[in-house]
Amino acid sequence: MTISTAPAPEPTSADRTPGTARRPARRHRHAREWWLAALLVSPALALAVAFKLVPLVRGVITSMESSAGFGGATFAGADNYLRMLDDPMVITSFRNALMVVATLPVWVVLPLVLAVLIHQRAPGWKFFRAVYFVPYTIAPIVVGIMFRQILAPDGPINAGLRTIGLDPLAIAWLNGRYSALFSLVAVALWSFFGLGVMTYLAGLATIPDEMLEAAYLDGAGFWRRLFSIVVPMLRPTVAYWSVLCASGVLIWLFPLIYALTQGGPGDATMLPEYLVFLTTFTFLDRGYGSAIGIALFVFVAVLSIFSVRHMFKEGTRKPR
Amino acid sequence: MSRRTTARLGRYLLTFALVVVAVAAIYPLLFTVISSLKTQYGFAEDPLGLPTAGVTLENYVEAFRRMDMPRLLLNSLITTAGGLVLSVLAALLVAYAVTKLRFRGGKAVFLLIIITLTIPSQAIIYPLYQTVLDLGMSGEYQGLILAYAAFGLPLGTYQLAGYFQQVPDELIEAARMDGAGHFTILFRLLVPIATPALAALAIFNFVWMWNDLLLPLVIMGGSDSKTLMVGVSLLSGQYDVSVPLVSAGLIVALLPVLIVYLVFQRQLVSGALAGSGK
Repeated sequence: MTISTAPAPEPTSADRTPGTARRPARRHRHAREWWLAALLVSPALALAVAFKLVPLVRGVITSMESSAGFGGATFAGADNYLRMLDDPMVITSFRNALMVVATLPVWVVLPLVLAVLIHQRAPGWKFFRAVYFVPYTIAPIVVGIMFRQILAPDGPINAGLRTIGLDPLAIAWLNGRYSALFSLVAVALWSFFGLGVMTYLAGLATIPDEMLEAAYLDGAGFWRRLFSIVVPMLRPTVAYWSVLCASGVLIWLFPLIYALTQGGPGDATMLPEYLVFLTTFTFLDRGYGSAIGIALFVFVAVLSIFSVRHMFKEGTRKPR
Repeated sequence: MSRRTTARLGRYLLTFALVVVAVAAIYPLLFTVISSLKTQYGFAEDPLGLPTAGVTLENYVEAFRRMDMPRLLLNSLITTAGGLVLSVLAALLVAYAVTKLRFRGGKAVFLLIIITLTIPSQAIIYPLYQTVLDLGMSGEYQGLILAYAAFGLPLGTYQLAGYFQQVPDELIEAARMDGAGHFTILFRLLVPIATPALAALAIFNFVWMWNDLLLPLVIMGGSDSKTLMVGVSLLSGQYDVSVPLVSAGLIVALLPVLIVYLVFQRQLVSGALAGSGK
C-alpha cells in the first residue's frame, strides 16, 4: 500500500513546475489548435452547408411559393401545404408509405434469423454470408429492371408457377392494386436484407461466445436462445437497424418505383419520394413539389433522429 | 435418442432454410446472366430461363453499341472515385478535429455533420438541383462529385470519429512530445489504425455512389457526362429492346461493383465487424 502510493506525488510535483512555466506557450498552442481545427472542419462544413442545409432552407422557401411551369414565383404562404391536405394523390402516397412501414417486422426479423444461423457456424456459413450480400451490391435501378423481366406476366416466375400447377398464382404481379405494392416491397427486401445480415453479424461479434454456448449446453433451443439471449444482448444493433429501415424504406424505393411501376397501376405504388420527383420534374410544379419534399423530410427526420442520437453518443463517448 | 433426432432434424431444416434464401438471392442474377447469353429466339424457347443450346455474345456487342458504354463507364468511374476520395478525406479531417483537438464547438460541429443524415436527397432534390445550377456545375463532373461527397459525409464522419475515439489520448500526446505534427499523427498514426474502418467505408461509398440514380439523373440529366446508371435507366423506357439485350446491359452495369465486392469481401466483413466492436 505505502509502496504503491509513495512514488505517486513525486511525478505530480515534478510535472507542475515545468507546467506553470509553460503556461503562455500552452495558450499559444491553444490558439494554434483553434486555427487548425477551423481549417480541418471547413471542407466538411462547406459540403454539409452547400449541399444539404442550403438546399433544405431553399426547399422550405420554395414550398411557400406558387410556381408552376416556367413562370416566375409568387409568395403563397401555406397554400401548398393546405393543398396537400386534400390532394388524394398525396394522401394515398403517405398511406402507401405507412403500409410499407408496416412491413417493418419482416425487415427486422428475417435478417436477424439468418445472421444468427450464420453466426452459429451452420455448414457452409461463409458461403451464405458471401451470397446474401450480393443483392445489396447490385444497383437498385438494375434490380428494378431485372425484376421487371422476372415478374413479367410471361416471365420465369409465372412460368415456374404454371409448371408446378399453381396457375391461379401466376398473376400480373406489377399490375394489381395490392400485388404491385407487395412486389415492390418484396423486391426492396431482396435488395437490402443482406445489409441487415451484415449489420447483425457485426453486432453478434460483440456477444461472448461462452454465453451462447452455455445456453446451448443448458438445452435452450434455437428460438429460445434467439429471443432470450441474442435479442436482449443485441438491442442496440436491433434498434439501429430498425430505425435505419424505418427511415430507409421511405427513401430506398425511388429507383425501384422508377423501373418497376412508375407509381402505378393508378396510384397503387405512389410513394412520397416518387411524387416529389414527378411533381417537380414532370408536372413542373416546383412549389408544390418542394412542399411534398419538406413533408417527406419531416417524416424521415422524425424517424431517424433516434439513430442520430445514438450515433452522436457513440462518436463522443470516451473509451472505457 | 428422440431428442437428438429432433435436434438433427431441426438443424437440417435450418440449413435448408439458408439454402432456400441463398437460391432466392442468387436466382435473379443467374437468370439475367443466362438470358444475356441467349438469342431472342432461344429466350422465347424457354420461359423458365434455363440454359439452352447456343451461347451468343451478340447482346453485349449490341449493348455497348447502343449505350455508348465506354463513355458511361468512364463517367461513373470519375464521379464515383472523386466523390469517394473527397468524402473520405473530408470525413477524416473533421473526425480528427472533433475527437483529438480541444476546441470550442467541436461537439456542435460533429452533431451538425451527422444530423444532415436526416436530409434525404429525395426530399430536397429540386433545391439541390437549383444550388448545383447556381454554382454552374450542372452537367459537370464536379457538381456530382461534390454532391456525392456531401451525402457520404455523415456516415463517414460518424464511423471514423467512433474509431478515433477509441485511440487513447496518451498515444497522441506521446507522438506530440516526439515532435510529430498534426498531419503526421493523422496520416501516419491514426489512418493505419483505422484502416479496417476506412476500407469498409470506401467499399460502402463505392457501392452506393456507383449505384445511385437520383443524384446523377437530376444533376447530369441528359448530358454527355451522365453516369452508367442513368444510361441503364433509359433502358427501362425502351420497350422495343429484347430481354436478352437489356440483360446484357444490366450485367455490364452491375459487374464492376460485384467484382469489387468479391475482391474486397474480407476487408468489408472485418471492417464491418471492427467498426461496431465497441
